[in-house]
Amino acid sequence: MNTHIVKTYGEELDQLSAEVVLMGGLAEAQVADAVEAVARRDVALAQSVVVRDQKLDELEKDIERKCIRLIALRQPMAADLRKTVAAMKIATSLERTGDLAKNIAKRSMVIAEAEPMSPLTRSIERMGKLVSSRLRDVLDAYKSGKLDMAMAVWSSDTEVDEHYNALFRELLTYMMGDPRTISACTHILFMAKNLERIGDHATNMAEHIHYEITGEDYVEDRPKSSTF
Amino acid sequence: MDNRILTHASVLWLPHSDYIEAGMANRPKKIRGYFPLSVATGIIILIVLAIIAPNAPWLIWVALTVLGVCAFAMNRDIRKAQQVTAPAPALPEPVRVQPEGPSFQEVLRAIPDPVMVVSGVEPNDIAGRWVVFANTAAREEFHITGENGLLVSSVRNPEVLEAVDEALFGNIRRDTVFETSGAQDKFWRAWTSPLPVAEGARKLALLVVRDETDIRRIERMRADFLANASHELRTPLASLTGFIETLRGHAKDDLKARDKFLNIMAAQAERMGRLIHDLLSLSRIEMNEHVPPSGEADLSLAARDVMDSLSILAQEKGVTLTFTGPAPGAISLVADRDQILQVVQNLSDNALKYAPPGSEIELEILTDRTLEQAIAARDPAAAKLVLLRPDRRDDFYTVIRVKDHGPGIRREYLPRLAERFYRVEGQKSGDKLGTGLGLAIVKHIINRHRGGLVVESIARPSTTDRELLAYDLPDKVAAVSDDLTTYTAFSAYFPQPRRLKA
Repeated sequence: MNTHIVKTYGEELDQLSAEVVLMGGLAEAQVADAVEAVARRDVALAQSVVVRDQKLDELEKDIERKCIRLIALRQPMAADLRKTVAAMKIATSLERTGDLAKNIAKRSMVIAEAEPMSPLTRSIERMGKLVSSRLRDVLDAYKSGKLDMAMAVWSSDTEVDEHYNALFRELLTYMMGDPRTISACTHILFMAKNLERIGDHATNMAEHIHYEITGEDYVEDRPKSSTF
Repeated sequence: MDNRILTHASVLWLPHSDYIEAGMANRPKKIRGYFPLSVATGIIILIVLAIIAPNAPWLIWVALTVLGVCAFAMNRDIRKAQQVTAPAPALPEPVRVQPEGPSFQEVLRAIPDPVMVVSGVEPNDIAGRWVVFANTAAREEFHITGENGLLVSSVRNPEVLEAVDEALFGNIRRDTVFETSGAQDKFWRAWTSPLPVAEGARKLALLVVRDETDIRRIERMRADFLANASHELRTPLASLTGFIETLRGHAKDDLKARDKFLNIMAAQAERMGRLIHDLLSLSRIEMNEHVPPSGEADLSLAARDVMDSLSILAQEKGVTLTFTGPAPGAISLVADRDQILQVVQNLSDNALKYAPPGSEIELEILTDRTLEQAIAARDPAAAKLVLLRPDRRDDFYTVIRVKDHGPGIRREYLPRLAERFYRVEGQKSGDKLGTGLGLAIVKHIINRHRGGLVVESIARPSTTDRELLAYDLPDKVAAVSDDLTTYTAFSAYFPQPRRLKA
């Protein structure tokens, strides 16, 4: 895996990426659980998502500490330096992902009290599934160091945008049809926005992976779809 | 270990146990000899020189040379440390099931469920769990390559990792349910159990995983079927009972009304029949979705069969069907023949439903496409959405594209297309026959074949859109409303076993 003369150095680097993957697994579970809490109106699950977010924060701090220590003591160069920096950046993205998932969970508690709106929560569920699969793909790419896999995630972000735009319109029609649903619909709109941002974080992570592997920034414009 | 700064030299002086902790099991014994020896020799030479000629300036040069020799020796030591591996410890004779039978390890390897043995040193370091043994199923399912790897790179579900830790350091047996999502969702149950080890040795835990996708699917299918069937059948059933009441009551002797009612009732009963048929086939397909197909199917042949079966209906509507692609027999896919036929049939049925009289429906088969080519939109102005994307990436795909020149589907409706019972707004009560399950069936079949589905469409902009456009870009709106050829094209793509053209 690594060709360092001092083996513990390589071990430390491996350990670092292992911790990022671990954090990724946690963030993945947070997103999946938050979306499930919305779909099933499960307040207990939502609460556990909120509580577990702290763990993600701690992990992020821990990874950051380890990265700084590694840079200070080992003075990593080239691929090692990129690996360290990418780990730090990906950890930050994952922490933000966790925050967004926590926000979804919090909002789900509010809409669980309102009337069920299954077509809308189904849309959230579908979008959540899509975003989760992005997140999973990008983590798989990170773990296995596959550049093409990461770039596939990067270029497929338009799908999430399309879903967001469609849901936005759907929500508008709902709110115009029945003003009593406005408060719940607004929460759903924010959830959708959060999911969309999680998708953005996945593409950011794909960019970090690109940087880690090739040493170059990915400069191309991301395919964007906007109907507004 | 964590807080110790390790320079090159200090590595050589670490006690053996630290090497073990750092995962360097094979610490070479030889290494201790070279470095101390060269340093000692250097110092002795220096002392001797200092006694013989205390004030000579060349002493500095000698000292430098000696230091250089020391550095060289050290470097050589380190090189050696990498090259020399301790002689492999003699493996104890494996315990065999029978004297001449397989060892228990080989038995474990043959178990169809993934089995792993995980080791750990520190309780709080979840990322530092190593897989020290994985059987064949575990290697395949969780992508473990090489001798042993970190557990997080194969399983990263936090609950499972916690359960492993509890088994390692808390001596707790547990089972955890987890899900790996993707194009095909999989449900797993993981058993974790502590393994006995000698005092002071690395802790070990057993992790056995079982695929429970089948059981979960059956449960979910039953629930879905009941919910869908009861919900969707209620409307036609209500109208049937309504008409029966009327026919029993005041319309009893009204011949004309009776005829009319009976016609409506027949149509409703037909719809219910279609609905049940579609629901059943959807359930059946969903059940097998995670089982890859094994037969062989020819897409061109399927397309030809479907065109034959639709020809009369198309003639009645005044629609022509055209086909471009390789001749039958040119390309065969690893697929379920009937299901492939159903994909083509459902897509063509849809096209026929929305094609205006006098228009053309184009069926097209493209071979040797890469994933990007298969997904790419033909017309950059069209709204495009990937409804299904395969998890795995194959080298080549065969694409079947069905295009109609109907009114098109607006961008905002695309994401929900493959959802069950979803109808694009404004056609719920329309004259189109359909159950709203056709595309859902198509999607599930394609998913089973590890393929994908893309929709591409140009539709007339909605009134609000046009108002917005008129406000922002008055020139564009004129262009839009004048001659816009609306269309909808569905492209289903399937992995192609081999490349057709050289």
